[in-house]
Parts: sequence; C-alpha cells; structure tokens
Amino acid sequence: MKRIQQTLLFTGLLVLSITQTGCDKFLTVDPPYTQDVENFFQTPEDYDRALTGAYDMLQASFLTLWLGEIASDNSIAGGESVNDSPGLHQIDAMNHGGVNNELRNVLRWNYTGVTRANYILENQDNIEFPGKAHILAEAKFLRAYYYFELVKYFGDVPLIVDRRIGIDEALQIPRSSKADVYAQIELDLIDAVAVLNPVASQKGRATKGAAQAFLGKVYLYQNKFTEAAATFDEVIASGSYSLIPNYNDLFTVANENNSETVFDVQYTGLEGGSYGCLICLEGNAAVGFQGIRQYNGPVYGDGNSYNLPTQELYDAFSSIDPRRNATILDIDAFIATQPNPASITYAVGAGGHTGYYNNKYIKRQGEIGLPDNDLTSPVNYRVMRYADVMLMAAEAHYQLGNTSTAQQLINQIRARAGVPGINVNSIDVIYKERRYELSGEGLRFFDLVRTGQAATYINGFVVGKHELFPIPQVEIDLAGGNWAQNPGY
Amino acid sequence: MIQKLFIQILFIGLGSFAFSQELYVSGLVKSEQNIGLPLVKVQVKGQNTGVMTDGSGFYRLKVSDSTTSVLIFFLIGYEKQEVTLNGRLNLDITLAELVNNQQEVVVGYGTSKSKELTGANTKINGENVEKMSVARVDQALQGQVAGVNIATNSGSPGGSSSIRIRGLSTFGDNDPLILVDGVVYDSEGLNALNPSDIKSINVLKDATAGIYGVRAANGVIIVETKKGNVNSKPQIEYNGYWGQQQTSRKLDLLTAQEYAVIKNEMFGLGGQAIPFNNTNLGVGTPWQDSVFQSAPIQSHNLSISGGTMNTRYSIALGYFTQDGIVGGSKSNFSRYNARMNLSTDMSAKLKMNSVLLYSNDSRSTLPENGIGSVLYNTINAFPNVPIRKPNGQFSYMEEVSDIINPIAQMQNQYNWNTANKLVGKEEFIYSFNDHLSFTNRLNYNVAFVDAKVFSPLVWYGDGKYANTALNDQLESPTVELAPGVEINRGAAVYEDRSTFVDLTYESFLNYEKTFAEKHKIKGTAGISIFQRKGSSLSGTGFGIPNNSVDYADISANTAQGGYLNNVGSWEFTERLVSSFLRAEYGYKEKYLFSAILRRDGSSKFGPNSRYGFFPTAAAGWVLSDEDFFKVKFINYAKLRVSYGVSGNDQIPNFAYRGLLNGEGVYVFDDLITQGVAIGRPSNPDLKWETTRQLNIGADFTFWKNLDFTTNYFIKNTFDLLFQPDVTAIIGSYGPGGYPPVINAGNVSNKGVELEFAYHIRKKKDFSTDLNFNVTTITNKVTKVPNGVDYIPGAGFSVGGDIATRFQEGYEIGYFFGYQTAGIFQTQEEIDAAGVVQEGAKPGDIIFVDQNGDGKISFSDDSDKTYLGSAIPDFTFGFNFNVRYKAFDISGMIYSAIGQEIIRNYERQQPYANQLGYMVDRWTGPGSTNENPRVTTEATRNNLFSSYYVEDGSFARLKNIQIGYSFPAPKLKKIKVESFRIYVSANNLITLTRYQGFDPDLGSSSALSSGVDYGFYPQAKTFMGGIQLKF
Repeated sequence: MKRIQQTLLFTGLLVLSITQTGCDKFLTVDPPYTQDVENFFQTPEDYDRALTGAYDMLQASFLTLWLGEIASDNSIAGGESVNDSPGLHQIDAMNHGGVNNELRNVLRWNYTGVTRANYILENQDNIEFPGKAHILAEAKFLRAYYYFELVKYFGDVPLIVDRRIGIDEALQIPRSSKADVYAQIELDLIDAVAVLNPVASQKGRATKGAAQAFLGKVYLYQNKFTEAAATFDEVIASGSYSLIPNYNDLFTVANENNSETVFDVQYTGLEGGSYGCLICLEGNAAVGFQGIRQYNGPVYGDGNSYNLPTQELYDAFSSIDPRRNATILDIDAFIATQPNPASITYAVGAGGHTGYYNNKYIKRQGEIGLPDNDLTSPVNYRVMRYADVMLMAAEAHYQLGNTSTAQQLINQIRARAGVPGINVNSIDVIYKERRYELSGEGLRFFDLVRTGQAATYINGFVVGKHELFPIPQVEIDLAGGNWAQNPGY
Repeated sequence: MIQKLFIQILFIGLGSFAFSQELYVSGLVKSEQNIGLPLVKVQVKGQNTGVMTDGSGFYRLKVSDSTTSVLIFFLIGYEKQEVTLNGRLNLDITLAELVNNQQEVVVGYGTSKSKELTGANTKINGENVEKMSVARVDQALQGQVAGVNIATNSGSPGGSSSIRIRGLSTFGDNDPLILVDGVVYDSEGLNALNPSDIKSINVLKDATAGIYGVRAANGVIIVETKKGNVNSKPQIEYNGYWGQQQTSRKLDLLTAQEYAVIKNEMFGLGGQAIPFNNTNLGVGTPWQDSVFQSAPIQSHNLSISGGTMNTRYSIALGYFTQDGIVGGSKSNFSRYNARMNLSTDMSAKLKMNSVLLYSNDSRSTLPENGIGSVLYNTINAFPNVPIRKPNGQFSYMEEVSDIINPIAQMQNQYNWNTANKLVGKEEFIYSFNDHLSFTNRLNYNVAFVDAKVFSPLVWYGDGKYANTALNDQLESPTVELAPGVEINRGAAVYEDRSTFVDLTYESFLNYEKTFAEKHKIKGTAGISIFQRKGSSLSGTGFGIPNNSVDYADISANTAQGGYLNNVGSWEFTERLVSSFLRAEYGYKEKYLFSAILRRDGSSKFGPNSRYGFFPTAAAGWVLSDEDFFKVKFINYAKLRVSYGVSGNDQIPNFAYRGLLNGEGVYVFDDLITQGVAIGRPSNPDLKWETTRQLNIGADFTFWKNLDFTTNYFIKNTFDLLFQPDVTAIIGSYGPGGYPPVINAGNVSNKGVELEFAYHIRKKKDFSTDLNFNVTTITNKVTKVPNGVDYIPGAGFSVGGDIATRFQEGYEIGYFFGYQTAGIFQTQEEIDAAGVVQEGAKPGDIIFVDQNGDGKISFSDDSDKTYLGSAIPDFTFGFNFNVRYKAFDISGMIYSAIGQEIIRNYERQQPYANQLGYMVDRWTGPGSTNENPRVTTEATRNNLFSSYYVEDGSFARLKNIQIGYSFPAPKLKKIKVESFRIYVSANNLITLTRYQGFDPDLGSSSALSSGVDYGFYPQAKTFMGGIQLKF
C-alpha cells in the first residue's frame, strides 16, 4: 500500500512539474488563418491588398458631398427633423460647436485612411518587386487625399508620416501647422505624379492626371497661383481629358468613368448595408439621403430629403442655363410634367423643405443597390472632374493676369453647358461660373472660404472662426487634451 | 501494483471468511427527538459493506471483532458518528441534526464546514431557486444574496441577466465565474441549465475565491446539481406548473386626439403646415394592446433518485417552454434537459463521480432594445393610423422612415437559434487514508449552437429602412452582376453553426488531519489545464422560393449561379494553465487561518505578461467558543477577515496582437475587391485586471433562531481591460476596425452587506423562515488612462450627445449632461436670466450655468454636470416562507433604491407618438414648469439633460406562492409519499415612479447601464403547479 501511495504522489508531483515547464509552448496560440500586422508584406500581393484597404477609406468622402454644400449657401440640411443628425443642422445654421458626430467621423475616417496608407509606406523597404514604385505612389496619392480633407476641415492637424503611432504616443502628439501639412501633401503628390501612369490599370485607381489635378488644387488652396496654373496646364496639355458633350449625362451611373473623369470615388450597389456602420458601406450613402422623401412615382427613388438646394441657388442660375435643372430638381414642377401627376406622391420632412432636390446625386430608378438601398447607391462621387480642372486653371491664370487663357477656358465650359460665352472681366465671373458648373458637388463651402467670400454669402458666418470647423471636443480630450480648439469655438 | 492491491483485498476477504465467528451487533438509531431514524447507513470502519436501518430505525450488522471494531453511522443532514464497540453487541445511538454552521459548503477544490470558513460566502438552497418558477437560474438569484446585484438584460423568454457580485468593477465582462459541478459555464450559456436540477448554489464573494485565480475577480458562483442519497429507495418525483403571462406594464401614450392636437401645435409653432384638419379622432389605435399578448408558460420535471450502499444516483428529465408577451411564439424559449449524476465507491478507497447534463434549448427572438425594435415601433407608432387599412393590408406610417408597423414587423420576423449542450465530468477520488485523497477529473462542456434568420421580401411603406422588396407587390430588387446581367435577389436565409468545446483536466491532492484533537490542518495542491476551442461556419442563401419560411434553408436557394450567396467562418483556441495551493489551520475550530496561492498562465496575453500570481490570506475567530464569552442570547459569534488578489482575463482572444482582420474593400473595375486592413491595433503589454479585496465580516446566531451575517468590503480593481474610444489619429475607426484593448484605469467598490435569517422549525404545525438582506455599494473610478480626462460611453438619442462617462471620482458610466431648472415662461424671463442661453425662447428648458461664466456653452462640456447613475444606492431582498399545518405561503420581494434611468426610447421626431406627459406641455406663460413646448423648429430641448433622467428606484414582489400539501397518511394508502399543489404569481406588484416599461433594467455593457432603449419588460405571470413524490 505504501508503495502505491508513494507512486501516486510521485506521479502527481511529476504532472505538476511537467505542466509548469511545458506551459509556455502550450499557451502560445496563434490565431488561425489570419495574418499578423507585424509580419505582413512578404509578397507583392500583400502590398496590393493593403493598398486596396487604403483606397477603401475614400468612400468616407460622401460626408464632404453633404458638408461642403450644407455649410454653404447652396443648400439646407433637411431630413426628417432638426433632431435627425443634429450635427448637420448645426452646421447649416452656423451654430456648430465641439459636439458634432459628422465632424468626428470626418476626423476618424480620414485618419484611418492616413494610417492605412502609412502602413504600406512604413513597410516600403521589406521586399523589392516590379511595380512596387507604382503601389507606393498610389499610397502617397491616397495619403495626400486624406490629409487634404483634414486640412480643409480642421486646419492644423497632427502630421504622422510613414509610421503608425501607439496609444501612448497619441496622447503626446501635437497639431502640426497647416503649412507643414500642406508641404507634406505637395511632397506626396509630386512623388505620385512622377510615378503614376496616365491611364489606370483598373478603373478607380489613381492616375498621373489625378495626382496633378489634386496637386494644382492644393496649390490653389494656398493661393500659389503660379504653381497651380503650371500644374493645371500640364493636365490640360496631356490631352487625356475632354468635356463630354452633354452636361445632363454627367451624373448617371451609365456614364461613369468617362473622358471628363479625372478621379472618382468608386461605389457599388452590389453589397447591402445598414445604418449601423456607414463606413462599412460599399455604396454611396449621400445619394439615398438626398433622395425625395417618401417618393412614389417615376424616374426617381425615395430617399431622406437631405441636403436640399435653396431658392437662392435656384434663382442664381440664368433661366436659360440648362445646368439649373441638371443641378436642381424642382419637385413640384417635375411632377406636373409627368403623366398622371395626381398619382405621384412625396412627403415633406420636418427638417426643412425648399421644394428642390440635388439632381446630381439623387436616387434614381435603375440605380438602386441592395437593401438598405437608401445607403447603397452605386453612383460614384466625382471628386475631380475635368471641368473643375479647367475652372481652377482659369482662376489661377486670371490671378496671374492671363485673362485671355481664363476667358478661353470659361467659354469652353459655357459652350458645353449650352450657354453663350461671357466676358471674364473680374475674378467674380469665374467664381460665379464655378458655382453654376459645380454646385451640389461638395465644393462650395471650401471655395467660399478659400476665396474669402464666405462671410458675404453664408448667413451667420463669423470671420476668423468659421473658416475652420471645430475639432470635436471629445477628440481633443481623447488625444490627451493638449490641443487648443480652433479659434472662436 | 494493482495486482498487489487486488491480492491484498482478496486476502482480507478470504481472511474474514476463514475466521468468521458470526458476531452480530444490533441496536436502534434515533434522533434527538427520540424518533427512530430509517435509512441510516451503518458500516464497519475500513470495510466496504454495511447495512441500513429499517423503517423504525433498527439495524443488525455482522462484525469480526467485538472490541476493536468501529461502527460508522451516517445520515445526510446529521452529524456522522464513529463508535468503538468495546465489547458491546447492543448499541443504541442518537444522531444529532447538523446545526447550520456545521453544514458542508463547496469552496473550490474541496469542501468545508461553514463554521470553518474564513471567507464571505452565501449559500442558497435549490428549493429557493425552484420556487421562483423562472427559466434561468440568474433570474431566481435576484435579491437572494447580499452583495449580488442582478439586473435583467431583457424580459424576453430566455433573456439573460447581468450578474454583478460586489459592484461593477470592470467595463468588459463583469460576469462571475460560474461552475456547475465544477464545470465552467458562461453566463450566456445559463439558458441551458434547468433551475430544477439545482441542489445548492454557493456564492464566493471575497478574495477566498482566489483559488480560481485569474478568473475569480468578479466572484465565483458554484452550482451543485442534485445527487441521490446512499441507501435510499428509488424516489420518483414530478414537479410541474402551468401559467399565463402578461405585461407587467403598459406605457401611458397619447390618444389619437391628443396626438393630433399636439402635432398641429408642433408644426404650427414651427411655421409649417398643420397636419390634421380634424383633430376629433378619439382614442385611435392602442398599439400596445395589440402588441402585448397573454402568453403561456409551463414546466415539467421528472426525476428519480436514490442509492445503494455504494452507489448514489439522480436522474432527471425536464421540459420548459415559455412564449413571449411580445410576439407569442415568435419570442418563444423552450428547453429539454436530461441529467444523470452517479457516484459510486469502486472500492473502499476509490470513488467515482460522474455528471452528465444534456440540454437542448431553442429561442426565437424579435428585435429588441433599440431603434427598430418591436417595442420601439410600438411606442412611437402613430395612434391615428389603424393597424390594417380597410383593404386588409397593414397600414404604413410613411412620415417617419424608421418607424414601421409593429404588428407587420412581428409577422415578418423569423429568427431562431438552438443550442445543444453536453456538460459533464468524470471524477476519480482516491483516498489513501482518512486524511489524504487524490482527485483527478476531466470536465467537458460541448455546445453546438445553430442560428437561422429568414429575411423575406417585405414592404412597410414608401421609404422605410426595413423594406427588402421594391414595392407593395413584393417585387424583388435585382442586382447587376455585370453590364446587362441582372439577377433577382429574392428572400434570403442566413444560417450559422458554431461549435464550442471546453476541456478541463484537474488534478489535486487534499489533506486533512487533526492532531492532538485540536490542531486541524488542511491542505490542497493541484493543477488545472483548460482549453476552449470554438469554430463557426455561416452562410447566406438568396432567392428562397415563394418568399416563404417553408423553404427557409440555404439548400433551397435559387440564386442564379449562386452568385450572391456568401459564406463566413471563424475559429479560435484559448488555453489556461494553472497551479494552486491552499493551506488551512484551525485550532479547536476556534482560531482559523488559511492561505491560497494560485499561478495562472493564459493564452489571451502576450509573452510580456502571460503569467500571474494570485495570493490570498484569511483568518477567522469563533468568539463564542471562548471561555470568557458568556453572552446568553448570542449562541454563535465569529469574526472573519480576508485579503487577496484575483484576476480577470475576459477579453477577446489575441487582443494583444494586431491582426489584419479589418475590412479593406474597394471597387475597382466595378467589382468589389477584397484587400486587407488592420482590425484592432496591437497592445503587446496588455495584462490582466487584478482585483485586491479586503473583507471584514462577522457571523452571529442570536436566540438560537436568528442568524446574522455582515460583511464590509473594499474591492479595488486595477488595470481594467477595456476597448474604450480612442483618439481618431490612431486610425482604428475604419470598417472592421476596433479600438485596441487597453488596461484602462482603476475602480473601487466599497460596500456593506447584511443578511438576516430567522427560522422556527421544530414546532409541529408551524414553521417559518424569514430572510432579509441589504446591500449598499459605493462605486468610484479611481484612475483613468494617462492623459485622458474621461472615457465616453453611451450616446443619447440618434446621433446625439454622449450621455455616460467613465471618469475619475465618479461611478462607472455615470450620467453627464445639462442640469435643468424648469421652463422659460416669457421672453422677459429669458432676458432677465443673467445667463445667455443661445436660441432660447419661451417654453424652452432652462439650463443651469455650471461654470458661472454667464452663458450656457453648447460647444463644449463646461456647463454639463453629474446627473445620476444606474448603480443603486441600496438593494434589498426579502424572502419569507411560512408553513401552518398543510398550508404554506412563501414570497420574495426585491428592491433597488437610488438608481437613475435615462429615458431614451422616445424617437425625437415630429410625427412619432409621445408619452402622455406631453399633454402637460408648455403652452403659454404659467402653463407648466415641467415639460417644454412642442415645435418642429430647432431647439436645444432635446439635448441630453436631467429632463431625460428619471428615478429608477423600485420594489417588486417577484414571487408569491400559496401551497397545500395533502395529509401523508391518506397518501400512503395510494403509495404516494407527498403531494402538494400550489398557485403562484411572479412580478405581481411593482412599485416605482419610473415611466418606462420596467425599472429592472440591466445591460451587458457597464457604460450603457441605465439607458432605456425601449426595454422588453418582464412578464407578470400567474401559475398553478403540482409536486408529487412516490
């Protein structure tokens, strides 16, 4: 008996000691079928897939389609009520402050884009392979795009380049000056221009022309007219782009990625989505939001009546300018022209009603994605049209005194639209033409700010304050509380 | 070795046969009341045979030696006696009933007498759980144990509760470790456990739970299932009840007429067209009356238990089913249980315990608790709209896109899940001698969880977010695969099969010996190895034929080419390796000391911090055993103190590593292209939370019948594991991205627990048991991450402010917003206020200028303040059980005082229906100082303020039961041992001022506790039942 006891005791102790030594191996469990962040970038395909991830955040740009208009004199927030997306209504009324979910999303999503581009560039030296330079150039283009969004909205922002930061560092990092951020954006775009091909290997990828156009735009935002004009001239001289004949065809899915397309944010209706995660969508959420409320009738689909053009915008157009009706849908006038108008119904949201809808980005029959189709529109966001390049070129040239170049560009734009030429005798003519051509495309607010006209046109706009949006207070707190809020907020 | 053992046994057997002298001992075993005790096991010490006393308590037993043989008398609930024969062949014995403090308590890797305990434990008997007639054991525990707060996460059948032992101590998983017969059960999985199978529950609240180390920080609940008794006849028992449930409350909502008047006023004041030309609409549609229904509940349990000399068994079958008060069978919960407990003495030294619990539970669910839930739609549905239009179609409420017809919604919801679960253990205990035993056991917990969601093509009216069809003809949307190639999407079905397999191997030695009759030493040393593997495979099939649930299976899909169908899967493994030591010393059961040391290694953490040590020390002093202790009315007095460290590792697997599991999807060439993105950033230094807990307690018995236990505790939790909101610049807020898991701060819980128990038993016709407990806990955040002032929690309304926070100096998840001071009555009042409140008009809420700068700041938090917290100041539980002759009555009252709730189920939209209090809105100077004006124009009245915070205190009669037991003599004639019938009611009365459905409002997330999103209320249930024993 004694021996049995001893043996059992011994076995017990043996088990105890074995488990303690074999422990480490047993406890090291690798996550199955998933790649690890730190040992990725082993094959060219890895770089390519990470790049797709960096492109993904472009789809957050639908916010700019809203905010660039709602903040301006072009449109009101609209929607179901003033309590629905209060952040948009506050921006509309120019009484926005440090609590604003939309602005928080702008900050979060664009920094995610920056981080995803940085992740590739951080690992740029891992392996060598043909085509790597092009991937890195695309990553730089994307990083410049995201930083440009951030600097437009918030001015000074923390500049993080070619690396990721950890939670502790994030609490220390200061805001870099607007100038430093712009310098980095220019640097990235110049690098991208040098490498990118004029024609994209796949529809949706950044091209040399896109990088040049954005570089010119970045110069223009800094009033560097000489560099801007030269850069836009290169785009024009490349001959890669031309205006399409009919302005009315510009915003349909069928006409996407045409000769006028310099850069589109690509969307598709092939994947369903829900309100739970707007950034997870593959469709364009702005389009359904801007649709006609509870609409039941032909041509259009029903939506949420956001971002509604104002009477003032409608009246700003010449009645003979076809761009008025292409830009703005007068819903009652439209219904009256339809057969059996009495059967067509729509509702008025308590968030505001002007009788007008954004006719460029609006839910149409035949352009409807999977449920919830208010969120899954396949309509691309045309963030850089050739017409915009020409207008920006005209502006830069006019500022440099090249009025005839400006005159010629403006009249090309007007000719395509189907309106008579105009005498470009002041910069204001060019600014006005920008509004006729580009309203409803998310540019107006930023144009007014950069040209110093915002206080003239936007009710409640306070000079020295509203040029920048406030950094959401919660983000200042989460970043360690060391950043000063933008002036006036 | 085994051979040798066998030969020895054989030799002993032969020897006793060879030298048999046919000696017999006989006698009577009786109770202290001088009544013969049947079924007492009488055994000669060291031998594996014995006899049982007969119906009158007599026994006769063969012995080999009349002088040195020792007889052992054993009966459950009585003190075991060992008597040396010393030549006596006639031996009468009186067995004493165990007093409370001598009862056995399971403490983890061993048992202890409650008198010897040094920790804070509370034991609940199975009857008190079964009596509550509820689906889940956690629901039955509410109010039974001081220091354990249980709040219901949902009143829907099968809905879980949040169990908080000694307060909220972490953001993430606050659930205690739950062990059923030693097998780890997660609290979600409690659906599988049949409350009728439970013999006892022991709750370890303080640091002595540290024997479970890294998983003990939230306390430990040890559940023991029913076992058979040695030497007892097979006893067959049937318990069953049937009942009907209804909602415990309906909200006071506007009638159609009130609605029309108020909406006209609202649009009129907003400068918009008036929606109702005729406001004379009467009561309109009382949506709640159609949504809530009377729903059946029933439960049946059949068991057989008993034992022979060496074997005890308990086998049971159970069936439970409950329909929902919302949706009836669409929110049904049903469960089948089978259980077998078997213990057998394989030899004199080797004992085996086997437990096998099988369950099959199914649950159907409707959307609940949030925007889009059935009750949310019910509350906000327009009262002027009928349920169905004259043509029989469901009506639409087209003015608000996110409110749909709740009756239509329930009809279109198909959401089921089923879990098949097999839980058990095989345990072998080898006793070397009376002092040393060696236990080896293998525990398993295998669960197969199937889920299915059928999404038919539905239409709720133009522009509704929930539409899946194109129009009211239910035409399917088409998807363009390539230019010109369009396919129908059709109805869809989602299926998911997940498998979880937990295996635990545990091996430990227990030593117990008393030296010189006063030095008692106990020791435990062992190891535990745990592994959990999980895997899942899921898929969605499109084009389900006929838009019908009859074909709701992926196999029936008709998606052309299978293009739309998609699949998903995941897999994980987690492991834990632990070793533990426990030493206890008792001097005359008067001075008690114990110490615990546990070491854990967990695969959830990186190599930098994978192992942890968890020490605990405790002491007790039985004051009443001292000679100097001469207080007559105090029969028992003990002081206890314990201090120790335990841990919490309940975070997602691989949280320390950065994984490329984010979503990086973009559209190239019009096709969805998969890329990669970082999901959750890494945190290689992630370590477990540690809880350091001090407990000072005392136990008393006064006047023999009144037990009193009190505990004071300080529980400090460090390095809370959490995924708080982090700064945007980390870049983790893309699709599929999450903030990193960090060690995010410290929390302190301090509290006092009081438990009173009053018993009168030994009277013939009358007995009573009264239990009362009180808990008060002060919760405070003591540290937030460096550089951060607070961590934001839950939001208010849709896209609204952040309403809860984690901030130093306050409770976890306290409410933070504007304090209100009534309603502005006139413009003069606004002008004279001395505080600039931008945009204020008469009828608007007055906010308090907290920082005194003469202006209400809406762009930062400087004028916001503390508005309450979901943590109650006090909770009370009161249990009574009174028997008079054949009648018995019992009841249970639970109360939580001093908790606040955020009213967040009102959709702040112009057309949405509103609560009845809006009748008393501000309509002009002097009309009211309570509720603001109604208008569609922009106001600040909907900002999160104290206007939306309500007192959530309540007291609830959770259960009351009246029973009658038929007289035993009459039953004997028909071979029935006992027969009791009863009627019972759950949640009969609730006293509260809270306006929402149910103030007993839990949340699985600490930072959204107390935020009412349209809670599924608990049912009021009336039941009748029978208990029958053969």
